[in-house]
Amino acid sequence: MNKKPVIIGVLAISIIAVIAASFSAPSETVNLDMSRTHGTISTAMGSAILGDPSAPITIIEFGDYQCHQCYNWFHNTKPTITRDYIETGKANMIFVDLAFLGRDSPIAAQATYCAEDQDMYWEYHDMLYGAQESQIDNGWANSERLKAFAFSLGLDMELFESCLDSGKYSKRVQYNSQQARENGVRGTPGFFIVGPNGQQEQIGGAQPYPVFKEIMDSMVL
Amino acid sequence: MISTFKLVFSNVKFIGISLLIFIPMLVVLLTISEYIFFEPYVISHIPQGSEFGFTLIVILSVLSAIVIPMNIYRINMLKISKQKMGGGVFGSIIGAAAGACSCGPIGFAVISTFGSVGATATAFLTNYEIPIRIIAIAILAVTYFTTVKSLKIECKLDPSS
Repeated sequence: MNKKPVIIGVLAISIIAVIAASFSAPSETVNLDMSRTHGTISTAMGSAILGDPSAPITIIEFGDYQCHQCYNWFHNTKPTITRDYIETGKANMIFVDLAFLGRDSPIAAQATYCAEDQDMYWEYHDMLYGAQESQIDNGWANSERLKAFAFSLGLDMELFESCLDSGKYSKRVQYNSQQARENGVRGTPGFFIVGPNGQQEQIGGAQPYPVFKEIMDSMVL
Repeated sequence: MISTFKLVFSNVKFIGISLLIFIPMLVVLLTISEYIFFEPYVISHIPQGSEFGFTLIVILSVLSAIVIPMNIYRINMLKISKQKMGGGVFGSIIGAAAGACSCGPIGFAVISTFGSVGATATAFLTNYEIPIRIIAIAILAVTYFTTVKSLKIECKLDPSS
């Protein structure tokens, strides 16, 4: 029996399979530093760092995209903190999900990491807090709307949809919520300010700018 | 109406009851709605866009502090049945419940304990916080007017006063 056609056939099938796999598998890689911790909190599964990673202070926010107080903090307090501390390199920030308020909360959190795959985490995060509606689970953060937000940011929709529909980041969001519980967060937004010497201060609720300023200034003086 | 109000609150005991209702209710509602914080510093803060919610809490607390003592007066001083006490207490409770169950510690505890049923209940109370508070204020207002009317009849006050 001539084995040559069989070998050629196997080789051909293998090459086709490799090419097909390279086209069908989207480049959804997760680049996580699993050892990343700030104070007592594992931020490994949280957001990318906003601001200078070597800044002396880290602000960790535990939040839910459907939480109205998170919306208040995002619009009333965060802009001043960003201007005075994050943009000046004095502090950086990490967002960690505590997605508990409604059925659309976890999927909204997962969508932000699908946007992160395309280096648009913070843009997508900002878009969700800009678009939040006052009613929980009224559909503003359902799968279709989350895809529409991605489209309006110009993300690769094939990648984004396959990521969101597959539930790729479901475990990541669950892990983050577990971190919140383990660190005694009992509502959103909840904050930890971690200083240069490992000092850690917890802030519960959408507190105003002077509270954050007082704590952060006391940590670097 | 004023004379009925004076009749009840000329008694220091009822001013005390009124303050005992008003101050804790205002502080608790402002705390759970995140207008006041006690940790790490004591600070008050009315976020932009939340002024209406703040006003409703103040109205609710003031009305509760007026209506409940007036009903206690009716029951204690005039030995009348406790039936009409219900409106004031009911209005105060539903007004207080609205908004308590949002993203704060109460909502988190309810959802953690009761799961999806808790989430549905807290979502309802959060979504309809403002209408529920308005309904509570309406109940308290109606209770106030019915209490004043019945006090006038029971105390034989001049209806025109």
